[in-house]
Amino acid sequence: MTRFGRGRLRRILLGAIPFLVLGTLWQMNAVYRWLAPIHMPPPASVWSAIFTLQEGCPGLLDALRQGSGCLLTNHILSSMGRVALSLVVGLPLGIAFGVLAGIHRRLGNALEPVGVFANAISGIAWVPLAIVWFGVGWRTTLFILLNTVFWLVFFNTLLGVRGVPRVYEHGVLALGATRWKVITQVYVPGALPSIVTGIRMSMGFGWRALIAAEMIGGDRGLGFMLFVSAQEYKTEEVFLGVLVIAVIWMLTDRACLVPLERWTIERWGLVWRPS
Amino acid sequence: MSSISVARPDLLRSARARRFWRHGGLELALVTLLALALWTAISASIARPDRYLPSPVSVLDSSRDLLWKGILPNYLGQTLWRLVTGSLIGIALGIPFGILVGLNRTVSEMCYPILNFFQSISGIALLPIVMIWWGTTEKTVFVVVLYTCFFPIAFNVLTGVRSTPRIYVNALRTLGASRLRIVRDVLLPGAMPSIATGARLSIGYAWRAVIAGEMLAGRRGIGWMIFSAQQVDRTAQVVLGMALIGVLWILLDRYVLRPIESDTIQRWGLVQR
Repeated sequence: MTRFGRGRLRRILLGAIPFLVLGTLWQMNAVYRWLAPIHMPPPASVWSAIFTLQEGCPGLLDALRQGSGCLLTNHILSSMGRVALSLVVGLPLGIAFGVLAGIHRRLGNALEPVGVFANAISGIAWVPLAIVWFGVGWRTTLFILLNTVFWLVFFNTLLGVRGVPRVYEHGVLALGATRWKVITQVYVPGALPSIVTGIRMSMGFGWRALIAAEMIGGDRGLGFMLFVSAQEYKTEEVFLGVLVIAVIWMLTDRACLVPLERWTIERWGLVWRPS
Repeated sequence: MSSISVARPDLLRSARARRFWRHGGLELALVTLLALALWTAISASIARPDRYLPSPVSVLDSSRDLLWKGILPNYLGQTLWRLVTGSLIGIALGIPFGILVGLNRTVSEMCYPILNFFQSISGIALLPIVMIWWGTTEKTVFVVVLYTCFFPIAFNVLTGVRSTPRIYVNALRTLGASRLRIVRDVLLPGAMPSIATGARLSIGYAWRAVIAGEMLAGRRGIGWMIFSAQQVDRTAQVVLGMALIGVLWILLDRYVLRPIESDTIQRWGLVQR
């Protein structure tokens, strides 16, 4: 299949139809006023909400420096910054503890129910307690996100490491490998498909949890922007925020996580499993 | 594991007990005790434990109070009722929709991107808009849960229907089967594993949406309980609510969703592709 063959073009064109229909209906609603603008703002005012929010922002450089006038980009950068921080901190921790727990059978058995329980209360349910501990603000939202990311990655790594057939470990050990070699050559590659699935899941649940946490216990970020705009009945800003959230998630998932997952499974996933 | 199932009933009990201990039961008991001990120790050593981390005993104590007044069962019932109605109606709508869309290649190619788009807008992000539409009513939470459930399941059913091998459809068609027959005997069974996986995933999202919806829209329920308890500084109730949320989800997942999923995959999933 060629990359830009007829099939691909056909799919893009067909896929655009529902979006066009919805967009047309939306615009028609703006003209004929079936629904009041406060309930369904016209596309033009959602578009102009970008410029209202960015009013005091002279240029791109100012937006990157998080100048005080660049409300929209500040909220976006603030949410994305927390995601990046949770990836940098949460992923290595989750993977490290997951591997440690996975190579020790007893420890793994003991920590598995902890992971199950922690994942069951993940995300949103921690928000009230986090507010008590850290107050309303970025610490609370970061805690919620880190908590979600860490436990999902930990749990999936643990499952992945335990799923690696013992035969491989014995084989490598018989050839005189050290414990460290076994971890880096057997366990981590064997668990990689599961780890990457865990990363994708943690981003999916984490992003949702972050938005919710910012609404309830945050003081900046996209979720906070949505909530404040809704309270002031600025529906066009709420629509804008929802669209931005959807676009950011689709870009991360489709452009980074799905290819990463597919590549990992193709490269590492087809391990021969002795029956 | 299956070799034990032919054992005599009097042996079964001990065999089951032995299996429980061998498969991590001892570790589970130990780690629970250890966690409780650690929790008690931390809460005893910090200043103002009532505010920051109440001990397990005081959490249990707060549950007795809530049980006595009948608040806890009421809240639990309302939360579960929201989850069950919202997700069942969402699934009941999503499955036929996914199958109908999946019947035709052109239609399914048309709908795939937009389903994907709506699937990636989480219901929680829509809560502020829905609250502008309908205020803090029961309808708001219901619609958000319905939305959260509908799109993942419709998306998964569509994918499942499309990945059913064409050869089966063609085989039935050459034998003169009607469209309805093809749906009933080929597409629906072929999509069953994706339906089961999609249902479990979407109920997981719906559970979080119920909690968030109760917090933000202020509807009485377990999510509202932990949110309002935090505002009046009753941290023991917050911790109690969190523990209940965790336990409820584990029970639901272990004893309802996961058996359904694995049974479905066992029954329908081993189709030759």
